Amino acid sequence: MSVDSVIELSGVTQRYGDLVALQGLDLQVNAGEFISIVGSSGCGKSTLLRLIAGLMPLSEGELRVNDKPVEGPGEDVGIAFQTSALLPWRNVEQNIALQLEIRKLPRARFEHELRRLIDLVGLKGFENHKPYELSGGMQQRVALCRALIHDPSLLLMDEPFGALDAMTREQLNLELQRIWMETGKTVVLITHSITEAVFLADRVVVLTARPGQIAEVVDVPVSRPRRFSGLSAPAFQQACDRVRSLMNAPGLD
Amino acid sequence: MKTMVYPLITFVLFVVGWYAVSILFEVPPYLLPRPEAVAERIYQDFAFLCHHALVTTYESLGGFFLSIVLGIPLALLITSSSILEKAIMPWLVLSQTFPKVALAPLIIVWFGLGMGPKIVITFLVAFFPVVISSIVGLRSMEREMVELAASMRATRLQVFWKFRLPLALPSIFSGIKVSVAFSIVGAVIAEWVGASEGLGYLLLSANANLDTTLLFSVLAFLTVIGVVLYYAIEYLEALLIPWHATIRLKETTSL
Ligand SMILES: Nc1ncnc2c1ncn2[C@@H]1O[C@H](COP(=O)(O)OP(=O)(O)OP(=O)(O)O)[C@@H](O)[C@H]1O
Ligand SMILES: [Mg+2]
Repeated sequence: MSVDSVIELSGVTQRYGDLVALQGLDLQVNAGEFISIVGSSGCGKSTLLRLIAGLMPLSEGELRVNDKPVEGPGEDVGIAFQTSALLPWRNVEQNIALQLEIRKLPRARFEHELRRLIDLVGLKGFENHKPYELSGGMQQRVALCRALIHDPSLLLMDEPFGALDAMTREQLNLELQRIWMETGKTVVLITHSITEAVFLADRVVVLTARPGQIAEVVDVPVSRPRRFSGLSAPAFQQACDRVRSLMNAPGLD
Repeated sequence: MKTMVYPLITFVLFVVGWYAVSILFEVPPYLLPRPEAVAERIYQDFAFLCHHALVTTYESLGGFFLSIVLGIPLALLITSSSILEKAIMPWLVLSQTFPKVALAPLIIVWFGLGMGPKIVITFLVAFFPVVISSIVGLRSMEREMVELAASMRATRLQVFWKFRLPLALPSIFSGIKVSVAFSIVGAVIAEWVGASEGLGYLLLSANANLDTTLLFSVLAFLTVIGVVLYYAIEYLEALLIPWHATIRLKETTSL
């Protein structure tokens, strides 16, 4: 096993009662790698993310993060959930800072980063707005900032851009790529968009329908930084086609 | 102030209807006194009525506060341990199907006619809504919120103070509002069973004397107490949880 692999799954199987959500997953994610996970709804993507995040016990198999078996939520992990999960009585700034408060990190040290993130995701001027005063997409952006504020080395995201319009989505994809290139974080991104998955990832993990198994891991051999204008390049197209055909394959969906 | 207009119109229509009924159907005053007779009676006996109203208010508030002081901690206990829940919940539900009002005479026998037993009876009536809605509220934290807290490695105390309790407040308040209304009912019933003062006692003696004007005056006082207490709680709610959806809804519709 390589030294710098951050996440290691071997024979990971997850059950909810009688329902087998994930079956026999083997996967290694290297440090600094960007991984996308795609698969039809209900195939176990969120389950996989929860397992990596240490949010629930594993039914079977082995799962290591940073060379240690996962026993609970890690120190150095940031998560953006499928719903924004903001606290309604806290404004944008306070919702982001919740991560610091709970982890007992000094707010002053992260003040600059807080401003920068708010600016980055285009929420400047909305610092004092409560969640109900924001659109769904803005709420998701707040959740993204909250996942990033403590500068975790592992970033887990569950369809963070689901509620965004195409324009904003592409913008945030570019920002995410930039953050990732600058900081060298390891990122696991769940998405329903094949284009988004391929555009951002070094490797795309395609899961089969229930029970979720790895159909194939598709490499995206395109150099960085990538641009949306370059999406017509053959390497992109091949990867997209491969992912699409895997997801449409008979018996897999 | 604009929000006062519509309830006032309703009130005027109500009084007009009252007149119409008493004139059209020629209802004798000992069955349905005219509004002005009631108003005059309230004016004349104001100090007397206020004295009894204070007694009833005192009993209501006593039972109401007791419900909160005991009800919310009980809900905390029940939601914090599944063993306690299994041990207590069935009995709590059972105690609700049991008509607590039927206990009132027994409580008077045991504890006498003073203020204390009346507060106990009021408490029995007002207690349940607080407990149940607090339990519902404390359980209302959704899966992703729980996981968010866990992912930040929140301690049990942090989860409680920063997530669970504030998330429970809207539900707790809706229970408190039901409870404050119940507590007035409880106080009146307690006075019916045995009392020498209070609005419930006045109701009985007015009834015995066929003094319907007094009866209506007492009903008016009870209504006022109920409304004042209810809105006091609403005010407190708006202060404590301004972010709560039902309050926000009201703000936008009244624009
Ligand atoms: N807490 C749970 N208890 C029981 N079954 C669950 C639970 N969570 C998920 N499941 C089941 O496990 C399967 C995988 O769920 P999961 O949420 O991981 O899917 P998903 O791939 O994230 O779907 P989507 O794309 O719709 O978010 C589903 O069939 C779901 O019904
Ligand atoms: Mg999901």
